[in-house]
Amino acid sequence: MSIEIKGVNKSFGDFVALDDVNVSLPTGQLTALLGPSGGGKSTLLRIIAGLDSADSGTVTIEGTEATHLPPQKRNVGFVFQHYAVFKHMTVAKNVAFGLEIRKRPKAEVAEKVDELLRLVHLQQFAHRLPSQLSGGQRQRMALARALAVEPTVLLLDEPFGALDAKVRKELRDWLRRLHDEVHVTTVFVTHDQEEAMEVADEIVVINNGRVEQVGTPDQLYDEPANDFVMGFLGETTKLGGTVLRPHDVHLSLRPQVPGAHEGTVARVLRVGFEVRVFVLTDDGDEVTVTLTRTQARQLGLEQDTRVWVSAVAGATTVDPVAAVV
Amino acid sequence: MIWFSLLVLIPLAAIVVKATGGGWSTFESVLTNENTRAALTLTVVSSLIITAINMVMGTIIAWVLVRDRFWGKALLDLIIDVPFAMPTIVAGLTLLSLYGPQSPIGVEINGTRWSVLLAIAFVTLPFVVRTVQPVLEELETDVEDAAASLGATRFTTFRRVVLPALVPAIFAGAALSFARGISEYGALVLISGNLPRRTEVVSVRLFSFLEGGNTQSAAAVATIMLLVALLAIVSLDIIQRRVARRG
Ligand SMILES: Nc1ncnc2c1ncn2[C@@H]1O[C@H](COP(=O)(O)OP(=O)(O)OP(=O)(O)O)[C@@H](O)[C@H]1O
Ligand SMILES: [Mg+2]
Repeated sequence: MSIEIKGVNKSFGDFVALDDVNVSLPTGQLTALLGPSGGGKSTLLRIIAGLDSADSGTVTIEGTEATHLPPQKRNVGFVFQHYAVFKHMTVAKNVAFGLEIRKRPKAEVAEKVDELLRLVHLQQFAHRLPSQLSGGQRQRMALARALAVEPTVLLLDEPFGALDAKVRKELRDWLRRLHDEVHVTTVFVTHDQEEAMEVADEIVVINNGRVEQVGTPDQLYDEPANDFVMGFLGETTKLGGTVLRPHDVHLSLRPQVPGAHEGTVARVLRVGFEVRVFVLTDDGDEVTVTLTRTQARQLGLEQDTRVWVSAVAGATTVDPVAAVV
Repeated sequence: MIWFSLLVLIPLAAIVVKATGGGWSTFESVLTNENTRAALTLTVVSSLIITAINMVMGTIIAWVLVRDRFWGKALLDLIIDVPFAMPTIVAGLTLLSLYGPQSPIGVEINGTRWSVLLAIAFVTLPFVVRTVQPVLEELETDVEDAAASLGATRFTTFRRVVLPALVPAIFAGAALSFARGISEYGALVLISGNLPRRTEVVSVRLFSFLEGGNTQSAAAVATIMLLVALLAIVSLDIIQRRVARRG
């Protein structure tokens, strides 16, 4: 295991930001720390980097006990949401910073900087100032700067958070490819579940300072530990006391399966290629069902149509009562 | 904007015209006068020394005010502005009662060159602090964290990352501080004793020219000071650009 976090607690005054966090992050993988705003993701990342210190608990990086090491000695690369560029230095100088501090020979530094700038596709911008780069380019520069010192682990705090949706998507695919090339253990923070699902090998879901679940994207999606994780990873709806995904609800015009709930269509909403149907069951649940356009047309759904809804076989469900800890 | 410029430029031009009205000879007689030369040298050298000190101390004080947390910080922040706020003659009186004859703290420096330095330092300290402080406040701590995780010690981080960002502000404050230093009158006149060739500064000298009805010499001295100030501002700007580029 590359990063071992054991029993970490952190409070700011009365506020508990991290509550007994235990996680092991495997070597060479791309892990996402996923959770809502204020959940403690940045705090955990900063504790791993040594930029903040935990109140209690231990951090081990690649077998080295690092709890009390200053950030300078941890050999982690850190990429910040707002780039944290050295404004007065050129792109090349920014990338060279860590190497120059280590007093590497000039030729070696130049070669390494060149190699990294090529890796992040910025070789033609070497002599520009960061202010002359776009946000996405700036962040790639920050990434090259962090990689220059050949860190044991690379930590990224919402690296694409300040970018627009399109660039964000490009960069996340690019990060995945880069990781497959460089293979450095990487942890990145995001509150975007789609980003985490698409890019990460493993996801750690953090909420209110606690780890809710750790697993691969498939595991989280198919076997969510509780309704928080389930709700955070996608849309959910309630049917007969269980939580499930709207596309896991079967809808028909006459009772087909035993135990189906009878109700009336309250509203039909078309969103792009899918159709969302809101059904008010006679038991008083408001169930959301998603269908394809073709399905909806075949059924001829309208407001006040009588329908029967039930969970499809093999649907992912969570019992919300059991999930309350 | 034009009106504003004229407002400043007309009196300046008037002084230059007045000074040059008497031809080169006025300047010559002013410059060959031992007392005037001594006053000029004393003023410029003292202001340079104090400006240099302000650049270091002002930056440190600004740093402490922005980055450290301690008891009495708000009070210190307030006190920094006192020399700005008080009429300079009041500053002069304060200094005299503190460091003059029968000094309550046992430091009697009135009539010495130390008093000139002290008075200039007193009125110019706020400049660098107040120009650097907002820049430092704007500087993200992320940048320092980034440097630290790349292996830079606190000192290296300060020298290579923080300081370059502060250089323009430090030099802007230095220019203000120098300009104020060479023109100070009120804070100096009481404590320095105005001994010709020892503690008499240019502004005092200038005043005595005026009292003696010698307006032409006064204008000549004023023009020289104007040139010194311009020269200082231009050279500070050049140095600042050099330093910034070297980063
Ligand atoms: N220096 C601090 N002083 C006081 N409270 C803090 C400090 N840093 C973080 N917090 C609090 O700790 C909690 C967790 O913060 P953290 O930055 O780790 O959240 P996050 O999961 O990264 O959220 P986001 O997605 O918005 O970045 C927040 O409620 C925040 O207000
Ligand atoms: Mg955060």
